[in-house]
Amino acid sequence: MAVLVDRSTRVIVQGITGKSGILQTKSLLDYGTSVVAGVTPGKGGAVVEGVPVFDSVADAMKGVAPNAAISFVPPMFAKDAAIEAMEAGIKLLVLTMEGIPKHDVLDILSYARGRGVRVLGPGTAGVISPGKCKLGAHPARMFMEGKVGVVSKSGALSYEVGKTLTDAGIGQSTVVALGGGPIWGTNQREVVELFNADPETEIIVVLGEIGGATEIAAAEFIAEHVRKPVVSLIVGRAAPEGKSLGHAGAIIRGNKGTAASKMEALEKAGARLATSPAQVVEIIRKLG
Amino acid sequence: MKLYEFQGKALFREAGIPVPKGAVVTASDKEGLFAPSAVKAQVLSGGRGKAGGVVLTDTLEDATKAADSILSMELKGEPVKALLVEEKAIIRAEYYLAVTFDGESRTPLFMASAAGGMDIESVAEHSPEKILKLPVDPLWGLTDYKIRAMADFLGYEDRREFDGFVRKVWKLFREKDAVLVEINPLVVTDKGLLALDAKVEIDDDAKPRRKQLFEAMLSEQRTLAGAAAEADRGTITYVPLDGSVGLISDGAGTGMLTLDLIRDMGGDAADFCEMGGLTSPEVMYDAMKQVFADKPGIKSLLVVLIGGFNRMDEMAEGIVRYLGEHPVSVPLVVRLCGTMEEEGKAIMKEAGLPVYDDLRTAVADAVRFAAGGE
Repeated sequence: MAVLVDRSTRVIVQGITGKSGILQTKSLLDYGTSVVAGVTPGKGGAVVEGVPVFDSVADAMKGVAPNAAISFVPPMFAKDAAIEAMEAGIKLLVLTMEGIPKHDVLDILSYARGRGVRVLGPGTAGVISPGKCKLGAHPARMFMEGKVGVVSKSGALSYEVGKTLTDAGIGQSTVVALGGGPIWGTNQREVVELFNADPETEIIVVLGEIGGATEIAAAEFIAEHVRKPVVSLIVGRAAPEGKSLGHAGAIIRGNKGTAASKMEALEKAGARLATSPAQVVEIIRKLG
Repeated sequence: MKLYEFQGKALFREAGIPVPKGAVVTASDKEGLFAPSAVKAQVLSGGRGKAGGVVLTDTLEDATKAADSILSMELKGEPVKALLVEEKAIIRAEYYLAVTFDGESRTPLFMASAAGGMDIESVAEHSPEKILKLPVDPLWGLTDYKIRAMADFLGYEDRREFDGFVRKVWKLFREKDAVLVEINPLVVTDKGLLALDAKVEIDDDAKPRRKQLFEAMLSEQRTLAGAAAEADRGTITYVPLDGSVGLISDGAGTGMLTLDLIRDMGGDAADFCEMGGLTSPEVMYDAMKQVFADKPGIKSLLVVLIGGFNRMDEMAEGIVRYLGEHPVSVPLVVRLCGTMEEEGKAIMKEAGLPVYDDLRTAVADAVRFAAGGE
């Protein structure tokens, strides 16, 4: 099991011939991810790390039956590539690039809703189901197979917590990064819902940060539907007010979007609160 | 990029959205002053009305006095460099109308309220039923029934006029890559709807395809605000703070976590400097340059790197190059792991620089060094 990606995931890489595309394709293959084709318009016939390259997604779909795509297409062309992938039948789309114009993101998400496509990102580090499939930038050594599901806005924070868990011998079912925002194809609530329904996931870790209110929506879902233990770490407790901290959405306005308001909502929903990755480990150990 | 009211109104005028007649006035150019008029401070922050940044005048003498007084003000730390002087409107009703989107809606969202002219966030908090929120599918566009629902909610009778007005707002939102178009108040006068204020923010990510628009807006802002207009630092986010531990990270989430851990361990960060998740040796170099230039008094520098898309060999290269050109006397604590970490660690080792793997140990050492410890 695990969520979003597993051994049955067959991947196409959009923008495979760019610098990031080549490096990441190698890293996906090294991990054992089944990368079946790459796409770069005008580069059809090329081969990257042993993966055949096609001019269009439609061509890449023939014979190899991919069901997921990861995109390294530059921001100004990302919308076209995303629509192309979805129209060709891709059901999981990972948008790694930051800086896609927000109206393009809105269009992509609208199209995805109409077709039942799951979009991760934009600006996401992607997803990894350790031991099964990696569809993102997660450094392999920081993750191991197990029963803890992790969802995070920030990619780097998901590595940090993955590394701390793995160093402590605690494995993960799936680790999902959502992206820096301010808009995401998939939010915390939806991933918590997936983890809740996944028999392999026994503990859910929700990593959040200041700004916006998507953690609050996740807390509402947890309060109502989740009986599995939930551990939560919200970063940005020491953040100054009114300053955007790296992620477009990571800003405190007045008393809105503070770490404290999110911690309170999650605690009320029954989550156990940690203030550091090490404490996430301590809490999970106590859960036995 | 946030726009001044007069810039937003220029876009409104171009889009056919009715705005009052007016002129921009500065300390060196008061030619456009007239009366009776509304004299309004041009600042990017909100709440100027309450702070005395808007004055209604009847005579030219009043207008001149108001202009001089407002031009000497600072509103929320922002010195007033320009005024918009507009014809006064005879107001029969005040509405609120905006279109934006957020992480919860994930689709454009129109917001309309008959409680215009007030602080909309306080309306949202105390009487949310007074605000109508209508999601709009961007691919379908604005449908007739949603416009009718807004007009019904506001109780505005001239349907044809309202339809045209809202469609123009939507078109502007889409065609200018706006992330916010807010009219508060949208007033009803004897002649119909009039946008009395304009708050427009355009999407920085759309800059490559809206070059002309951005250049025009930025050049006006530079003329007014001088060096204060936003500097383009590429992917680096830099926020100065008050402490003594310099901080650089390659992820927003880990940057914020480290900020928290520094405080938890009894230290204080001197800054928040985040480079983004896909960066280069040049950006690493620039980040160090930025921190040392702005905070020469830091007692230690903590660099927290955990590479996914980022390559640790490139980060190490940037650090080593900076130190080669700028000898640094404060202790340097570098936590480096992730993509190409072996290569990165080798580069650091060759330069005689220690590397940490555990974040907490790194933070503890950086805090201890900043406090004068060994």
